[in-house]
Amino acid sequence: MKPVPDPTGRLAVSMVVNGRTVERTVDSRRLLADLLRDDLRLTGTHLGCEHGVCGACTVLVDGRPVRSCLMLAVQADGREVTTVEGITPEDGLSPMQQAFKDHHGLQCGFCTPGFLMTLAGTEPDEHADEESVRDLLAGNLCRCTGYEGIVDAVMAGWGRSR
Amino acid sequence: MTARPTHIGALVARVEDDRLLSGAARFAADISLPGMLEAAFYRSPLPHARIEAVGIGDALDVPGVSGPFTAADMTDVSPFPDFDEFARPVRIFPLARERVRYVGAPIAVVVADDRYRAEDACELLEVDLDPLDPVVTTDAALAPDAPLLYPDWPDNVVIDFPVDNPDANAEFDGRMAVSGRYEVGRHTGVPMETRGVVAEFREGRLTVWSTTQFPHIARTMLSYCLPLDENDIRVIVPDVGGGFGVKAEFYPEEVTIPWLAMRLGRPVRWIEDRREHLLATCHARDLVLDIEAAVDGDGRFRAVRGMAIQDLGAAEMYPYGFSPAFTAIGHITGPYRIPHQSVGLVAVATNKTPCGAYRGFGIPEAAFAIERLMDKAADRLGIGRNEIRRRNLIGQDDIPYTTSAGAIIDSGSHREAFEETVRVTAERVEHWRADLAHDSRIKVGSGVVNYLEGVTPTYYMTTGHWTAFDSCSMRVNPDGTVVVSVGVSTSGQGLESMLVTLTAEALGVRREQVRVVMGDTDRTPYGLGSWGSRSTNVASGALRIASDLLLDKATRIAGHLLEASPEDIEVYDGALSVRGSPGASVTWQQVATAANIRTVDLPEGVEPGLEASATYEPPGIEHVPDEFGRVNAAATYTNASHAAVVSVDTGTGQVRVLEYIVAHDCGTVINPQIVRGQVVGGIAQGIGGALLEQLHYDEWGNPQSTSFLDYHLPGATEIPAMQVLHFESPAPEMPWGAKGAGEAGIIGPAPAIAAAAEDALSDIGIAEINRTPITAPYVLGLIPGS
Repeated sequence: MKPVPDPTGRLAVSMVVNGRTVERTVDSRRLLADLLRDDLRLTGTHLGCEHGVCGACTVLVDGRPVRSCLMLAVQADGREVTTVEGITPEDGLSPMQQAFKDHHGLQCGFCTPGFLMTLAGTEPDEHADEESVRDLLAGNLCRCTGYEGIVDAVMAGWGRSR
Repeated sequence: MTARPTHIGALVARVEDDRLLSGAARFAADISLPGMLEAAFYRSPLPHARIEAVGIGDALDVPGVSGPFTAADMTDVSPFPDFDEFARPVRIFPLARERVRYVGAPIAVVVADDRYRAEDACELLEVDLDPLDPVVTTDAALAPDAPLLYPDWPDNVVIDFPVDNPDANAEFDGRMAVSGRYEVGRHTGVPMETRGVVAEFREGRLTVWSTTQFPHIARTMLSYCLPLDENDIRVIVPDVGGGFGVKAEFYPEEVTIPWLAMRLGRPVRWIEDRREHLLATCHARDLVLDIEAAVDGDGRFRAVRGMAIQDLGAAEMYPYGFSPAFTAIGHITGPYRIPHQSVGLVAVATNKTPCGAYRGFGIPEAAFAIERLMDKAADRLGIGRNEIRRRNLIGQDDIPYTTSAGAIIDSGSHREAFEETVRVTAERVEHWRADLAHDSRIKVGSGVVNYLEGVTPTYYMTTGHWTAFDSCSMRVNPDGTVVVSVGVSTSGQGLESMLVTLTAEALGVRREQVRVVMGDTDRTPYGLGSWGSRSTNVASGALRIASDLLLDKATRIAGHLLEASPEDIEVYDGALSVRGSPGASVTWQQVATAANIRTVDLPEGVEPGLEASATYEPPGIEHVPDEFGRVNAAATYTNASHAAVVSVDTGTGQVRVLEYIVAHDCGTVINPQIVRGQVVGGIAQGIGGALLEQLHYDEWGNPQSTSFLDYHLPGATEIPAMQVLHFESPAPEMPWGAKGAGEAGIIGPAPAIAAAAEDALSDIGIAEINRTPITAPYVLGLIPGS
């Protein structure tokens, strides 16, 4: 007989999400992605595989890209979390978002926030040429674009001519 | 009308992008309703078994759980109707009754306050299954003593369509025959967003949010299965994260979740996880084409004959999974002048996930077979692989041309696209050979292939029901803004932008004045949804008719207001003006105000209101094949030539696509960026299917590809740079001449890459590449002495 799981181990967490302090009591097993999406209604973070492979759920934790489907909400306690909503200007789009729009770097747009967050947590100088940009993007899957528009957008968004 | 700037072909940003880029889009999983429960399915862990009992176990120890619900609880639910008179009835029921036929088949469902608890409860159910012998291959399924998946059938054959065409057979007398058995492996669409259904039942009315590609068909199916009138059902398609055909099936969960919402009186949400997706969303391809061609000594093909053998999996899929095999037969001769064919099909049930629709829908399989056979014939005759194509391709002089499958080709650039692709490829392959010459293990080669693709196919051969029409209704609000609602429905391709452009073009309004409504059965006219590269074609047809009706009325009103003849009114940039008198002009707002508010200003005999509706069924489509399989099953046909430049590592067998060249012709291009995106994205999926993607089963029917760790999608490092060469041969019968671009890209990669890999290894001489995926171990095994 399998033991009945105990989902009642609840813990208080406090974190800064997109610049605002958030305090919640969550199940200890609750994923950061579910806290963001269902509890805070920040639904721009998407779940594509829940295995940490596709990268759609990428957010920044203390400025670094993290798979929010592989991180527990309690692990984000005391940290600073940024989602796609947090990098979107009040009016209009950020330069990288605009580059995605200009270069048709998205179709269905489901994977797009993950790409944007990977890029938001990356130092452009560490990816000097297209090959290196493709290596960086290999951690995010896109099924629509064939990556052409995304690579073009990154080059343009980082101010490089191709 | 005088010449003026056109919106057609202009580079304009998509209207969808801002909400998608900012995280403001709303996908199915983003929908949250007060009091909503979440569902989890208990799915069969066995490929073939009798269901003895579904016990509750300790599931109710999980707080807030309801269930399990099984087929026995669904007494007010009808099975999916079986419409196709030629196929054996499968009687799909939303939850398995008596028997499961594949790993992943839904047996029971539980709900809880959140998904964590629903999944906990599922794990605690005690389900008693009595294993039956699994049937895993088509050979095993067709064996005389095979276990039966459907005990009341005499065998495991779902549909048998033999063809024996004496005209084709006669061509084999005294001619060289070239034959092959070409297998496109089991893989599928795998959109980044899985499926999802949210349902709410309030005041006798059911609202269903679904990731479906065909909301109106989904509503009709729901009304067949649930005790509700269509009036009592509203299906809404939120933003959808890719469809690629796999969401153009009507699934068991689309009935079960609404049924739960009705039964429990609370909203219910189910979001498929990726493991479920790889088990329970339709698989595709898994088609063998066993064919031979009669070939003249100069390389001209005279006939093709053989069989398509479709592994359908458990067959519990609607629309039916055998339809791609029919489409493969319909495209078996490609864009070549092959006078006769005799290709039949048999579709067989096995204990694997049911097959269904995936972008390309049988045409990639047909292209793989005929292009591989053409390479083989060229090699045998000592004619170049490009030269043999040159001798067989349809030319402008041949058009209109009726293929041996019955397809009527009324336009195209088959030879022109091919020659340009050959020219560019020859340059690029030399570049890459020089670039990689330093490594003696790496061999470089190229392959050029051609195809034609029927777009806007009849749905009758797929569903036994619907044909090809779609619909549009347009309304001008009093302030001059325009609402356009259509029966097609987007999964992220950019259809909203396309419809804004066409409306601006047709009415002479500014793009900002147009709002598009789609994917909501309450707010759109009945239509068949988006699949089969049909949306631009059929929506533009209906939109053209509706906008002509609207313009007729608007110009009468404008003429009256301007004291001019309606025939002299032209529309452009938001205004209706008297031709030749730039000062004499009214805005759409003035016209619509007269039509809706200041109706005292209307001319005599003009009714109030400013709206129009139309349907469009493309002309010339046939819905049923003749005894030889011939049918003009599509509204029109696109063409393309594809070339892959690949490297093969002779030490490991790994094939890498270095560069891809495509010359593509989908008729009039409305938005060049969107069309390029469709072509390039389709090629990327085609490369995935050709080299990486495989839904593998072990010999007992256990699925081995159940996560992205073992189902490999191509990433940014596997997809090469692409050169896209555009040709435009407008469809003569179509409004604006636009054909459709959704599926084309995916058709060419497998045969182009196979040909290129053989070319790279031509010094060594390898056995024919006749199956996909073309994995490293497979290629290594073809290299002698490796």
